[in-house]
Amino acid sequence: MASGKRILWDGLFTVAILTVVFLWNLVLLELFDTKTMTPMIFVLGVFLVSWRTQGYLWGIVASLISVLAVNFAFTYPYWAFDLISPECISSAVVMLIVSTMMGALTTRLKRQEHLKAEAEKERMRGDLLRAVSHDLRTPLTSICGACSAIIDNYDQIPRERQLDLLGDIRADSQWLARMVENLLSVTRVDSDRVRLSKQSTVLEELIDAVLVKFRKHYPSQTVHVVLPDAFVSIPMDPVLIGQVLMNLLENAVFHAHGMEHLWLKVTLDGGKAVFTVEDDGCGIPRDRLPELFSGLLKSDAPADPSRRNMGIGLSVCQTIVKAHGARLEALDRVGGGAVFRFSLSVEDISYVEQ
Amino acid sequence: MSNNKYKILVVEDDRSIAGMIQTVLETGGYQVLVAGRCEQGVLMLRSHMPDLVVLDLGLPDMDGSEFIRIARRDRTVPIIVLSARMEEADKIAALDLGANDYITKPFSTGELLARIRASLRIVHGHQQTSGGTFTLGGLTIEHDRRQVRVDGEPVHLTRTEFNILAFLSRHPGKVMTYAAIVTAIWGGLDDGSVKKLQVNMANIRRKLGCAPGDDRYIVNELGVGYRMSDPQN
Repeated sequence: MASGKRILWDGLFTVAILTVVFLWNLVLLELFDTKTMTPMIFVLGVFLVSWRTQGYLWGIVASLISVLAVNFAFTYPYWAFDLISPECISSAVVMLIVSTMMGALTTRLKRQEHLKAEAEKERMRGDLLRAVSHDLRTPLTSICGACSAIIDNYDQIPRERQLDLLGDIRADSQWLARMVENLLSVTRVDSDRVRLSKQSTVLEELIDAVLVKFRKHYPSQTVHVVLPDAFVSIPMDPVLIGQVLMNLLENAVFHAHGMEHLWLKVTLDGGKAVFTVEDDGCGIPRDRLPELFSGLLKSDAPADPSRRNMGIGLSVCQTIVKAHGARLEALDRVGGGAVFRFSLSVEDISYVEQ
Repeated sequence: MSNNKYKILVVEDDRSIAGMIQTVLETGGYQVLVAGRCEQGVLMLRSHMPDLVVLDLGLPDMDGSEFIRIARRDRTVPIIVLSARMEEADKIAALDLGANDYITKPFSTGELLARIRASLRIVHGHQQTSGGTFTLGGLTIEHDRRQVRVDGEPVHLTRTEFNILAFLSRHPGKVMTYAAIVTAIWGGLDDGSVKKLQVNMANIRRKLGCAPGDDRYIVNELGVGYRMSDPQN
């Protein structure tokens, strides 16, 4: 949050809390003629302000105002200041101490939380890096191998076999290119200042772009598409969300063994668009669920092409979806198979004239 | 149509990519000039008068958009921009500056050649004129009678829908940005106009019988604009 906005918010919050506290006490005093609770309620107000605002400043401001308010409205002489009675001075001291300590405590707590989040991020980055290095090595090895084979034995290898090898090189490098796109999008999302280039995106166009790309790479795989009839517009980073859908569909192709049908569905639920990628393949083994989105590959996973992508793809998806304020979930499909699901808020477009 | 007379300037700093493009274009029958830097590119643009420029946006000595600006000051040579996938904003900026088209890295050589052919055709007027008939697969657009047919069956479009489709069909194979289409159809750009265009576009696609994932007629360039598929590719 911008610092100006932050200061404004803190100030408004402090004013609001103090107003509520003051009115509350006034009601107690006028209707029930009781003021034993007055200091305690003000301390609560000071506590809330110190807790929710940044630094010490607002807490101290709140406690000073509280002391003056108690002095002014709730102690004898009423509706006048009396700054020398021992009662007044001790309540001022108590409130100042409370607010300073709260400020110190919350600042320390916030710093600790920040450090913990940083460490977690660092750990995830490390995991991702390990998974990436593992995943990139395989296609690179085969590209290198195929190239050397052709260069070294140009005259011996029959033409068709050379074309096969070149085809493999192309497929592997296309896969690498997509993987690099994935990694780039993670750095784009993961950087400290999350700068998603959100723009209102037409659902149909997003799905169209994803399907065109998917069919280019997997022409033989049919995708059953279910979309709402209405014109739906969603604020999102279309490139990144498109990538999530592409990764999920691609994952199904690679990992849902025995799959016969693959669905890409979007349904409207209240103000949300629920995206679902569903397959009727082998489903997700229970023991893989916890680490599914972590970017970790099982070390015993053989380095065959069908095992590629799983870890990185899904952790990339989760990172992107989270950056949109949502969560990607993996579920069992009723009747066998896997379901991946996330939902995004739909934009109200009723203002657009036809 | 023979390609032999066309001279193409490739401005790209990466030597292996430049070499690859040169090989592909020369195999395709074009004459190729390569510049590794923007400045050199500008000089060659002026001295060699190429028919088309393939420009990498990320050059070491000067921003690629600067090159477009300079090139546009002098002449109307078509420019095709090479860009990475993530940089929609750059793509739109380049198109708005006057680049004719963009192609995303990594690209297939077939795609590159197709875009070059389309751009050259538009500039050199081997294009159906606005009064004529546009045919693309099962789709026919009769501009003067304002009639659209799919597989022989007439399609009923609103005035706006027809205007959009007709506008796209006058630039087949070339991506038109949202801003360019909106300006051409409504005369100006305001807050809701892109959304209005998208709503109209959804109706057009439905009426032409295009399910999502069907790019026979119109290719939707997410976040950038729309492209009419090129009948001659």
